[in-house]
Amino acid sequence: MAMVDIGELRLHVQRIGPRDGRPVTGTVVLVHGLLTDSLASYYFTVAPAFAAAGLDVVMYDLRGHGRSERPPDGYTLDDGIDDLRALLDRLAVTGPVHLVGNSYGGTIAFGYAARYPGQVASVSLIESEPATAAWASKLGGILDRVMTQLAYNEPDALAWITANRGHNTARLARGAARLARDTTLGKDIPASRVLTDERIGAVRCPVLGVYGGDSDLAELAPRLRSLLPDCRTVVIPGHEHSVLVEAAGTVGGHVLALIRGALAAGRPGAGAR
Amino acid sequence: MNATPHPADADLVLADIAGLLARLVEDEYGLDDVEIGMTTTFNRDLELESIDLVTLSGLLEERYGGQVNFAEFLAGMEFDEIVELTVGRLVEYVVSSLKTAGAS
Repeated sequence: MAMVDIGELRLHVQRIGPRDGRPVTGTVVLVHGLLTDSLASYYFTVAPAFAAAGLDVVMYDLRGHGRSERPPDGYTLDDGIDDLRALLDRLAVTGPVHLVGNSYGGTIAFGYAARYPGQVASVSLIESEPATAAWASKLGGILDRVMTQLAYNEPDALAWITANRGHNTARLARGAARLARDTTLGKDIPASRVLTDERIGAVRCPVLGVYGGDSDLAELAPRLRSLLPDCRTVVIPGHEHSVLVEAAGTVGGHVLALIRGALAAGRPGAGAR
Repeated sequence: MNATPHPADADLVLADIAGLLARLVEDEYGLDDVEIGMTTTFNRDLELESIDLVTLSGLLEERYGGQVNFAEFLAGMEFDEIVELTVGRLVEYVVSSLKTAGAS
């Protein structure tokens, strides 16, 4: 396990690349989602194929998640973007990177591209969206339910989840409850600074949106295409919010196609090593 | 870390992997009395989370070198297969990877 000190805290990072000394064509950074997620969602799904395709693949656990440190506060979207910036500085990744984000990780990735346009070669949003007022309000509702119905009602909530959703979901919920209780995440994220339509539209790099056909988020696809100058979206039928893990081959193929297209168009992505 | 000579015998690999898992479970969850055999499942019996499997992947690479690639092994599986994964299946994979590496 590689712990990387980014100044304020230590993050758990996994980095893999092409084997047998083949050249690196670009760097892709994979950002996971909230509460129950970790870099494992990439490590055992799309990451090996990305590395085999010639990419330097950087995965990390967000603060408070996985094996990264869990400070009590600092969980706004801007904090997440700051952490990513500090991590890439610390890893000496220079030049534009390809960012991939699942759910909230995509919101971080997009926010990073909006803040540092010259540093990003492409953005892939998996079941994800840019931070808007509507996004903050929706996340506020979800996190409010996490706090009241789960974090501060854990025994009852876990009994219900175990009976209705099974042992594994209950175990994930227990971890989420702990994170919600131990940190200010629940109030920080809905209070995050959000982007105007104008700032969203100013992200000029290629953007891919991938959605599960049975997910509520799929309806965001047309709006994303209308706001962004270079955006395509893919809806994968028969899946919901967990499309990355459940349809990893399909999702990974679309992301790689975007990255290859950006590379061919002369946006190299960092070849830092 | 010196990973040679490689034991390609299933019993030796099982003993190795059981040792790695016992260390992991103790480090992460403070449990020092888990029994690990070929039919032990990572998910239900050991209660390992997916991030623990990332740690295990690093331990396997440390022990056996690059020819044992746990991430690629799991990436080739369906989600349900990963949930049902047993120690025995990992042992078989390690034994066959080491044999392939030894033969090449």
